[in-house]
Amino acid sequence: MMKAYIRSAITISPQKTFNSPAFLNDLVEYNSNRLTSIEPDYSEAIDPRLIRRMSRIIKMSVASALACLKDAGIASPDAIVTGTAYGCLEDTGIFLTNMVQEDEEPVTPVAFVQSTHNTIGAQVALLIKCSRYNNTFVSGGASFENALLDAMMLLSENNAANVLVGGMDEITDMSHIVLSRLCLYKRQLVSNLNLFNINSKGTINGEGAAFFLLKNIPSANDLACIDAVATLYKPNDVAEIQQYIHSFLVSQSISYSDIDLLIFGNNGDSKNDEIYTQLQQSVFNGTPSINYKHLCGEYPTSTAFATWLGANIIKNNNIPIALDYQETSKNKINKVLIYNHYQNIYHSLILLSSC
Amino acid sequence: MDELMADLKEQIEVQLKLKNIKREDIGNDQPLFGEGLGLDSLDVLELIVLLKQQYKLRVSNPEDGLKVFRSVRTMAEFITANRVQNT
Repeated sequence: MMKAYIRSAITISPQKTFNSPAFLNDLVEYNSNRLTSIEPDYSEAIDPRLIRRMSRIIKMSVASALACLKDAGIASPDAIVTGTAYGCLEDTGIFLTNMVQEDEEPVTPVAFVQSTHNTIGAQVALLIKCSRYNNTFVSGGASFENALLDAMMLLSENNAANVLVGGMDEITDMSHIVLSRLCLYKRQLVSNLNLFNINSKGTINGEGAAFFLLKNIPSANDLACIDAVATLYKPNDVAEIQQYIHSFLVSQSISYSDIDLLIFGNNGDSKNDEIYTQLQQSVFNGTPSINYKHLCGEYPTSTAFATWLGANIIKNNNIPIALDYQETSKNKINKVLIYNHYQNIYHSLILLSSC
Repeated sequence: MDELMADLKEQIEVQLKLKNIKREDIGNDQPLFGEGLGLDSLDVLELIVLLKQQYKLRVSNPEDGLKVFRSVRTMAEFITANRVQNT
């Protein structure tokens, strides 16, 4: 598959990442097991008459998507592809609650209409009057990766010259309560900036929306390019993951030493992070690495944030000091490999490189 | 009738999440759609559900909808007339 060139990348996240000229130079600290996105004034980006119906995830996503298109100088892309595990959860909750409260009598339709997972892709398309290819992938912790693969295939097969692709998920009060009951999150108050120094069960909940404008040809304005994306479902053991990584690198004709930086999906959960530790002590021994989930929290499409992070690191050839990167090497960062797993079910690799 | 229209304005403001329009800004005879309040087809569905939930009334004939949802006053007249019929 051919490379996809990232012309622009925009994210709204729990960090100051939207409309911020600085690149993560001032991390936001949360003393909670829940990281909430820092939302901008949407009225500058979205028609106020339309905002009234939009839930938080729709506003975050639409604002990111429109800003991404604006940055790339593209009014209407050839395709819009989104990936989300939970979809528009807030509207789903409102709709289901209304149904119960009204004893299954007809209920207000807007929450239902906007509760579907493809609402975001549709809202973006409606706003920019784009009636071309529009697809949404809902595949748990591989939702964003599958959206990315679809976008890259569209570019490779010349079905599109540019694709707007995004990954997004939101926390709602209800989802946080339900997922907390499943013991996914830490029970004690914890600083996100101290996440990896606490050896305990559970992670911190997160959310965000990230959009990318991918092109099939390079330009001087590209942040980075996506060389390849691969996913692995429910591996039996670490040996299978190691083999999967090895095969991935062989398919890209690169070796471990070609990777300048690893972005790992450690989330502070001792059991979850054991896999990363084992890989760091084996196949990735000696390869510089950083984590990212202390910035955005854990959620199924967090690799969209990691892709934004990796692309900006390559573009700036700089790892923000706040990320506590210990390596002193000043060499150019040409290749960044993102490795993440979500609950040891969905594993993925995203290889980024400088253009 | 005035009390009913005031209630309707409040319900419209809340149900339709009108952020830049307050209930006191809505005129009794101001058109709800188009150049008036600027409501759209999704709002019609919201108003139909509002009538059903708050006043137990259905707009059974779609063509009546154009008249019923013309303004706050026409909605109030519809509610008054049909409440009487139902009692």
